[in-house]
Amino acid sequence: MSEERKKILEMLAEGKITAEEADRLLTAISGEKENSTASSSKTVLPKYLRVMVEPGPSSDHHDRVNIRVPLKLIRAGLKLTSFIPKDAQGKVNEALHEKGIDADFKDLKPENLEEILSQLDDLSINVEGKETVKIFCE
Amino acid sequence: MIPLLIKLRVRGKNQRRFGIWLPLFLVWLIVLPLLAIPAPFVLVAALILWPGGKGRFVLYSYAAIFSLIFNMSGLKLDIQSKDSFVYVDLR
Repeated sequence: MSEERKKILEMLAEGKITAEEADRLLTAISGEKENSTASSSKTVLPKYLRVMVEPGPSSDHHDRVNIRVPLKLIRAGLKLTSFIPKDAQGKVNEALHEKGIDADFKDLKPENLEEILSQLDDLSINVEGKETVKIFCE
Repeated sequence: MIPLLIKLRVRGKNQRRFGIWLPLFLVWLIVLPLLAIPAPFVLVAALILWPGGKGRFVLYSYAAIFSLIFNMSGLKLDIQSKDSFVYVDLR
């Protein structure tokens, strides 16, 4: 039991406040607590997409890649997908099918990708082999 | 936010290095007005082409240029290979 609740109940027991007043005070306290927990649990949305490629211990070459892309830039770029000519979209589909990706580029809509971007804060990809590849949001 | 500084370092295969630290706000003082001047003409073109369905394309592509410029801040590329490297940092 919190200190504030104790004090209110003590005041009620001593007759210093009525039951209605005690009820209002207890409601006000519980409302303040909900607001404070809600504000503390607000998640910070990621701002950048990071892609890092580093050579592994057994790697022959020493190529390194460290890219940081603002998610706002990705969103702005997604809006441009609707401007891709239909011929180019067909070629993109062919290239995707060759790689075994059974997806139609024409079905790609900015609002669908926006939903993916909004969930990227939990994304973390680590691939270790000859090279270490890390993809995450921060 | 619009990027105000660019830090660029490049080293090619012939080992020649090139580095530049450029205050972009001086560049935007020239570029943004040049991009804004065609705005009325773009609007008129969009209105003319709207019945044909291409007006939206004209309007959105013009707006997309500004959208890309204003969201580039924070972009960082650091690519190193054995013979060369490229470093671009927009702040």
